[in-house]
Amino acid sequence: MATKDFTTNDPMIDPETGEFRVLGQGQTFNSVTAKISDIVLTPHTPWGWYGFFVVAGSVTGILMTAVTWLFLKGVGIWAITQPVAWGFAIINFVWWIGIGHAGTLISAILLLFKQGWRNSINRFAEAMTIFAVVCAGMFPLIHVGRPWLGYWLFPLPFTMNVWPQFRSPLLWDVFAVSTYATISVVFWYLGMVPDFGTLRDRAKSPFAQYFYGMMSLGWRGSVKHWMRYETASLLLAGLATPLVLSVHTVISFDFAVAVLPGWHTTIFPPYFVAGAIYSGFAMVLTLAIPLRKFYHLEALVTERHIDNMGKVMLGTGGIVAYGYGMEVFMSWYSASHWEFFMMWNRMFGPMGWAYLVLIFCNIAFPLTTLWVRKWRTNITFMFILSLIVNTGMWFERFVIVVTSLYRDFLPSSWGTYRATKWDYATFFGTLGLFTFLFLLFVRFLPMIPMNEIKLMLPSAKIKPKEPAAAGSEGH
Amino acid sequence: MAHYSHAKVLPADLSAPPMVKAWQARALVVAILFAVTAVVLAFVGGASGWDHLWRGYLVGLTLTWGFSCGGLLMLMLQYVTGGKWGLLLRRPFEAMSRTLWLIILYWLGLGLMLSRLYMWANPGLVKEGVDKGLINTTQFNAIEHCLQWKHPMLNVGTYWVVGAICFAIWFFYTSRLNAMSLQRDKDTLAATPYWIKKFENLSGFGIVVYSLTMTALSIYWVMSTDVTWYSAVYGLLFLVGQAYQVLAFAIIVALALSKVEPFKTILRGVEQYDLGKFTFAFVMLNMYIAFGQFLIIWSGNLPEEINWYMDRINGHWGIICTIDFFLHWLIPFSLLLSRDLKSNKTRLTRVCQIMIVAKAFDLFWLVEPSYKDAARNLHFSWGILEYIAVPVAMTALWVACFCWELQRRPVVQVNDPHLAEILEPEHAVA
Repeated sequence: MATKDFTTNDPMIDPETGEFRVLGQGQTFNSVTAKISDIVLTPHTPWGWYGFFVVAGSVTGILMTAVTWLFLKGVGIWAITQPVAWGFAIINFVWWIGIGHAGTLISAILLLFKQGWRNSINRFAEAMTIFAVVCAGMFPLIHVGRPWLGYWLFPLPFTMNVWPQFRSPLLWDVFAVSTYATISVVFWYLGMVPDFGTLRDRAKSPFAQYFYGMMSLGWRGSVKHWMRYETASLLLAGLATPLVLSVHTVISFDFAVAVLPGWHTTIFPPYFVAGAIYSGFAMVLTLAIPLRKFYHLEALVTERHIDNMGKVMLGTGGIVAYGYGMEVFMSWYSASHWEFFMMWNRMFGPMGWAYLVLIFCNIAFPLTTLWVRKWRTNITFMFILSLIVNTGMWFERFVIVVTSLYRDFLPSSWGTYRATKWDYATFFGTLGLFTFLFLLFVRFLPMIPMNEIKLMLPSAKIKPKEPAAAGSEGH
Repeated sequence: MAHYSHAKVLPADLSAPPMVKAWQARALVVAILFAVTAVVLAFVGGASGWDHLWRGYLVGLTLTWGFSCGGLLMLMLQYVTGGKWGLLLRRPFEAMSRTLWLIILYWLGLGLMLSRLYMWANPGLVKEGVDKGLINTTQFNAIEHCLQWKHPMLNVGTYWVVGAICFAIWFFYTSRLNAMSLQRDKDTLAATPYWIKKFENLSGFGIVVYSLTMTALSIYWVMSTDVTWYSAVYGLLFLVGQAYQVLAFAIIVALALSKVEPFKTILRGVEQYDLGKFTFAFVMLNMYIAFGQFLIIWSGNLPEEINWYMDRINGHWGIICTIDFFLHWLIPFSLLLSRDLKSNKTRLTRVCQIMIVAKAFDLFWLVEPSYKDAARNLHFSWGILEYIAVPVAMTALWVACFCWELQRRPVVQVNDPHLAEILEPEHAVA
């Protein structure tokens, strides 16, 4: 509750707005450079990093085992069968792609909206996007059964005259996701070029000097370099912005263009996009909170970031809740027995527990607590909340896929779905792969953009000069 | 060589310039002229003329509702997101929201015409359609089934109850936000954090409540003109559509006001350009949702859904539909891509005017084909001109009320943390 006699001694609070400051006080160009580049250039890798790396590597090993077994035996080792012909693979694919969206939103849309607070988190959010797309892209490939023929998805001029079905949104996915991955990688790399230049100049070991020198593409920090860098960043942001909408929209079409109750609904495109951003921000929090603690980055990733991310989650979670509500309402308003039964079955049928889990994780818990600023800025609470939302968003996809399929139009063909150990191994394996890649990123690449943080420091601001001073210096 | 310049000073007089009063007078004249034209057209058109007058009234109500309650929505959105654009548009948004009383009057008027507009309010319309051969057996069965199924919601009693609840909620938010805005003006700058939080808290939940109530009335007023059709994204489409038209209108107002003080001082090129970009985003969002709905229904090709589009594409509706696509998306999209255009006041105003016309045109395309005498083919008659006369009269009256409300308080809000920044000289458009 706001009080009118607002006073604070907290140096992290801006007295003009009452908001947390975006950066901790006392930061200088040197301190920012030292803080971020030392994480990369230090010869003493923290033991904790090794610990996580070994665990993540081991879990990635489980993934490799599961995939190898899959290639040897075929998709029969998974639980997919009639009537649930789509199972964990599509659920995981949508979940991972969704997670990636926050990175693009932070790096592109918030850049266009001139949201300076994004600067501290955009780099590792972009990295998260790329690794999430890697995990996501794996599922359609291994799901085709014969992954060595996966290139058939592309409209190549075959001599066999086999062409993909252009009216299938699964083909649109190929274009949407590959474009998304390409733009994300280019944007991510481009953003790091000035920082690579800094790392090159600060590196002590010849290998590091060579590696970062090569990656910096001859960056010298001249005015011309900066001008082209800024222009390219804005252009890429402009290109990436529609991708935030288009990719998950196309993924929502995977379901919505089918004439299946539970899938065929017009709210899917915006609701999928909002859900993607919702889960993506949850994952950014899951990553940012331990990172800032482990590497002592509290002055660069402040309560303001956590608070703002909480607000974004509240907004996008609200759209998701609206989507759930409209789905339920339209199942009645449609006056269709099929739609009505599907929703009844989804909520109260044998798998109604999954619907309850998603309502609790995505709506009941976060959308009641995130209204309170005190909780939004409670780091431990937000970390727990991010895990709950990530779980809830996985269950959302589970509910959409499984509960729409397992009881179809003919009661004689009703069935159920029970994932196998290989389904679980593949899913948890991707969590390992994601963590593995992310740990490599934080160790060898600048996880926070030094150049963009410096632009936010008071010393980077150009103030209009006082008339007296101007009289002697200006014109 | 150092460059320097001085920050501008906010004019002492922040009240609306006299030109607003002149706009008000002109709008009233237009309203009267078009109202008379509407009545004449109704007489000339006979029974069909009167029917079209009511339908035009529905379009007029929906359009002005979009301006008024859309203004409330954008006001709340601004309080939640913050930003400099609020300093420019907050007072126009407030004035829009304070026209709610006129929308309530319009809504009461609509209540008198329910039996000519909605099958759920007058099942005799179904029989009339069957007798005239406009409704075949399959359609008749579907309509009958839907009327029975949806009766708990679609009936005259709940129409009044739901409407009254929605307007009561909007009235609460409008009056609270407007009252608090004046209180903030009178308070000290030191109390700004308090007011920011207070507005944020009220507006955040307000957006949630508004989205739900607006969806309910969009279903009652427009979607239920075709009782058999449904689309889950319909409410969201209306929500974005309201933001689209409100932003266009607010930019027109801000740019027109910037010819004189105090807007002349506070509207910089940077903010004008940003507003252009913001509008571009809503143009895209609007088309994104509309096209998504179309693609899903078209691909599904289900008889209970696709007929809604068939009614709006076949016959001369194909031309209307194409023009709607051009006006609503292609023209604003293409033009707003230009950096020069967004920086040019006259051209940006023209694009915003096109957007408002497009919104009205889109509502015509949404409403008229729902009636079986117009479905799948647009019939040209005197009555169809009611779709111009009535909405123009109602919108002009609304503009007059808006101008009156705009004059009732200063057009710039003081005690805003962005004020100092907006008074700084601009260097370049980023």
